[in-house]
Amino acid sequence: MSHILSALVFFPALAGILGFVVDKKSAKAYGIAVAAVEFLLSIWLWISFDGSNAGMQFTEYVPIIAQFGISYNLGVDGISLFIVIMATMITLLGIILLREDTPNMKNMIVSLLFLEMTMVGVFVSLDAIVFYLFWELSLVPMLYIIGAWGGPTRVYAAVKFFLYTFAGSLIMLVGLLAMAYLYNLEAGVWSFNILDWYKLQLTADQQFWLFLAFFAGFAIKVPMFPFHTWLPHAHGQAPTIGSVILAAVLLKMGTYGFVRFSLPILPDASVDFTPFIMVLSLIMVVYTAMVAFAQKDMKQVIAYSSVSHMGIIMIGVFAMNAEGLGGSIFLMLSHGIVSGALFMLVGVIYERRGTKLMSEFGGLAATMPIYATVFGVMLMASVGLPLTIGFVGEFLVLLGFYKVSVIGTIIAGSTIIIGSIYMLALFKKSFFGPVTNEKNFGLKDLDARELTALLPLVAIVVWLGVYPKPVLEPIDNSVKKLLVQMEEHAQFPSTKDAIIISKKEAE
Amino acid sequence: MESLVYVALFAPFVGSMFAGLFFGNAPRNAITGWVASTLLFVSFLASVALAVHVVHHGSVHVTMMDWISAGDLSIPFGFLVDEVSVTMMVVVTLVSTVVHIYSTGYMDHDKSYNRFFSYLSAFVFSMLILVMSDNFAGLFIGWEGVGVCSWLLVGFWYHKADRPFEENPSISPSWAANEAFIMNRVADLGMLVGIFLIYWNIGSLQYDVVFAAMPNLADGILVAIAIALFIGAMGKSAQFPLHTWLTDAMEGPTPVSALIHAATMVTAGVFLVIRANPLFSLEAVSGVSLFIAALGTFVAFYAASMALIARDIKRIVALSTLSQLGYMFAAAGLGAYWIALFHLAAHAFFKALLFLGAGNVMHAMDDELDIFKMGGLKKAMMGSYIYMGIASVALAGLPIFAGFYSKDAIIETAFNEGTYIIWGILVITAGMTAFYSFRQVFFSFHGEKRYEALGFHPHDMYKYVLVAMAPLAILAISFGWFMDDFKAFITKNLPAYEMSHHTHHWAWLLGLIVVIIAVAGIVIAYKKYAGKGANAWKRDEEFEASFIYKLLENQYYVPKFYDEFLVKPYTIASEKFWAIDKAVVDGSVDLIAKAFYKSGDVSRGMQNGNLSSYLNWMGAGALLLVVAAALATAIG
Repeated sequence: MSHILSALVFFPALAGILGFVVDKKSAKAYGIAVAAVEFLLSIWLWISFDGSNAGMQFTEYVPIIAQFGISYNLGVDGISLFIVIMATMITLLGIILLREDTPNMKNMIVSLLFLEMTMVGVFVSLDAIVFYLFWELSLVPMLYIIGAWGGPTRVYAAVKFFLYTFAGSLIMLVGLLAMAYLYNLEAGVWSFNILDWYKLQLTADQQFWLFLAFFAGFAIKVPMFPFHTWLPHAHGQAPTIGSVILAAVLLKMGTYGFVRFSLPILPDASVDFTPFIMVLSLIMVVYTAMVAFAQKDMKQVIAYSSVSHMGIIMIGVFAMNAEGLGGSIFLMLSHGIVSGALFMLVGVIYERRGTKLMSEFGGLAATMPIYATVFGVMLMASVGLPLTIGFVGEFLVLLGFYKVSVIGTIIAGSTIIIGSIYMLALFKKSFFGPVTNEKNFGLKDLDARELTALLPLVAIVVWLGVYPKPVLEPIDNSVKKLLVQMEEHAQFPSTKDAIIISKKEAE
Repeated sequence: MESLVYVALFAPFVGSMFAGLFFGNAPRNAITGWVASTLLFVSFLASVALAVHVVHHGSVHVTMMDWISAGDLSIPFGFLVDEVSVTMMVVVTLVSTVVHIYSTGYMDHDKSYNRFFSYLSAFVFSMLILVMSDNFAGLFIGWEGVGVCSWLLVGFWYHKADRPFEENPSISPSWAANEAFIMNRVADLGMLVGIFLIYWNIGSLQYDVVFAAMPNLADGILVAIAIALFIGAMGKSAQFPLHTWLTDAMEGPTPVSALIHAATMVTAGVFLVIRANPLFSLEAVSGVSLFIAALGTFVAFYAASMALIARDIKRIVALSTLSQLGYMFAAAGLGAYWIALFHLAAHAFFKALLFLGAGNVMHAMDDELDIFKMGGLKKAMMGSYIYMGIASVALAGLPIFAGFYSKDAIIETAFNEGTYIIWGILVITAGMTAFYSFRQVFFSFHGEKRYEALGFHPHDMYKYVLVAMAPLAILAISFGWFMDDFKAFITKNLPAYEMSHHTHHWAWLLGLIVVIIAVAGIVIAYKKYAGKGANAWKRDEEFEASFIYKLLENQYYVPKFYDEFLVKPYTIASEKFWAIDKAVVDGSVDLIAKAFYKSGDVSRGMQNGNLSSYLNWMGAGALLLVVAAALATAIG
């Protein structure tokens, strides 16, 4: 099947439109069925994917506006493949976890399926305009999900989320248009093909401004300090499913953008900006981890911890070596799975008690032992315990970044300390100690629906922690290719020095 | 042989998973305990078989599969069974087997019996990974794995509430568990940095490759690696200033304290230094090694001083563990790696025995820990009394017992190296050790039956449990007799540290000094605490009010210091950052939004539908443009 990527992108949206005519009662079942098919499609993509080929695969190319070089251009490589699979999997599990009595279930399912299209679309687009379309479209269903199913101040949170990220994206759009213009100046034709842009030689000045333009869009999405404040609001108000997808997939668009656009197109600027990115990322890691420790609300702890971990991903992206960059791609996946699972787990207790305040709990380990165990596994993955998925990426990122800055690595490495401080404090406050609140007696442990959504994630956490090779190998291949491309493309010797594809070469 | 390696390694894992099947709300199931214990015994047998193999045919090296490969990094799951690791394996599995069997009795009435065995076997599995791995990353897996199991087991009775520091210095099991985990993570960061340094300078994490490449590295890098790895070791082996977690970890069930916080896990740091002996014995890092020895000596004395007045039976034993770890580091730091390993093994046997004996006492006294409330238990629990007596004699280092050989060798090493200050402190500490261990024995088993007034009815442990403890007692007595054989075996792998001729000449005198001081300690303890009737011990209120007593009782105020200068500032800073995040970082975003909104609101007045006001604005605008154009031309 040569159009598997188109199928992956548009199947959920088409099925979503059909979803309007589905009976209200069977809306959830319909959603699960569609998401399951989509997930199987993405697995099929993996099976047919050639792991030894580092380049783009399953490419599709249809010119849309030929005179401006805009085309429907899709492709997937080792970097995007697993993010796509993670997106479809998290969507499926998220839909499974939806409560039967969710109000307006049909609209929810349609929103989610539409969102799924935009998510897959962003990660497989090779044309900047198509990428931008999916990038912006992803805001709409999420705006709706937060605004319609959220908490008391949902409208404020939703609008903030929308306007903040939209403002950044517009600056990014200017950058994208400028790229096409510069390409036209150099090559004489317009092109929005990202792979074409990889070959473009830009001056240091051009790279500088373009980097900043891209940065505006990506950094707000990540979200990097100090542009992160929309996230706690969004998480605080979003329903469980919204938070799960937001944390697991939508944030990855930002870091993915840096990998797909900033690094290969602007290698010299990327290297020059590394200290700047490093400082922001280190603040992100330490500062937000401390803010996470101060939270009273369980969900806010996870929200801030999410920002903190995104900081580790960011320094990995700018490590400029295969260990760090590959590690950060892997960490995007593991962060998606672990933070997704943690938001699901918070949702579980919120459904039972109608509160997320840690002071309301205590002793849950005794009343809900299976829940506590699953939470414990995810906690350990979150603090990066070896043999869980969380360790592999974090270890590689820190290892890779060590080459860039020793002090930076030690500060970033403090995440293994401060990360365990807030997570263990959360666990102690909520799960340990005597059961003091009467309302916590006789709470129901995880039921079949919740276990169906959570156990696959537990299995993946252990599987990829013990045997990450099937995922890490294709990532590593594509990352090395990207670094080679960067090095060839780079104009300044200092950039070439900073990029390390193989250690042997560095000696 | 390969299959034996896997049997030894994975048998405890299977046991853990089996017990895990009966997790959650499943009722207590005696089978879990016995299956876990049997599998542990299987692992022990496999370890012994491997030891025999290593003696005759040398080491076994297996690679199971790839773990992480990215960039140039390639980490396999590889296991190395050589003289050093097989020694650890036999010690770990032997003590674990005894502790497992012991726990079937000790945890008999606990409703989380199944969960306990699941954790305990998982711990042994992690510990075996730690000692068997053939590379630093594999070691780190085990390193963190034992940390988590320790967290789970210290916090095993998680349902207990927090109490103020004054009432219970360890606050609560869950608090102590978190403290242990976080403090160890501080050290782990050092360890990670060491791993990164090794990788970027050598390109591999495999022991054989790394140690072969070490001599070619620059001195500065070697020192940095040594420091980073030792910081890691300081956490697990609870060396000052990362030591407070160990005494607090006594909140865990006593078999856990015996296995993890005495015999095995806490020796991981010592093991790391022994394992990395090709690094630590390099000339370039001699400064670091001397520091290790000095710190070890300091900790030996420091911990022993606190044990002199401690009242909590488990804390006394924990402090003695800390002190003995100091001895091990002293030996390793001075280059006598095989002596450190020998003391590690001997200590594992007698300390586990001592802890299990203490567990029997607690069991008999309904979990009472205060030795002031005990006394005269000898009659009621003869078996435990004999065991604790043996263990304490071994710990005190009296002739023919295990501790005599191993500890004496360490003290002799200090003399041999000419580090007489270390030697002097270690000798004094040996006397203190003898005193506090027998103080605790006499307090609990001799003297007046103080417990009677408090309404306790002590009874000894199950017979089979006492029988199961016998192997430890036998080894606590006899392990030292095999010192020469052990030396011949282990020095195939570790540097053969030899005493100089001069030291050899004076060895008898050095040994005699240590024994005399130890016996003196025991005699003083006997005089003070074992008397009955008119000679019975009475509380010395005046002494308890003295500064020195308060200092020791409050652990030199180190926990207080941590609380005041680390925990509280961190909490306050976190709160402040959160406030800043809301008010400043988020506030400025809202401010920008509001500015847009406001400017729209203000400029709305322009659109009032009045034609003349529109003309006015147009005029103003045109004027502005003209001025701007004029300015632009003027500037040029």
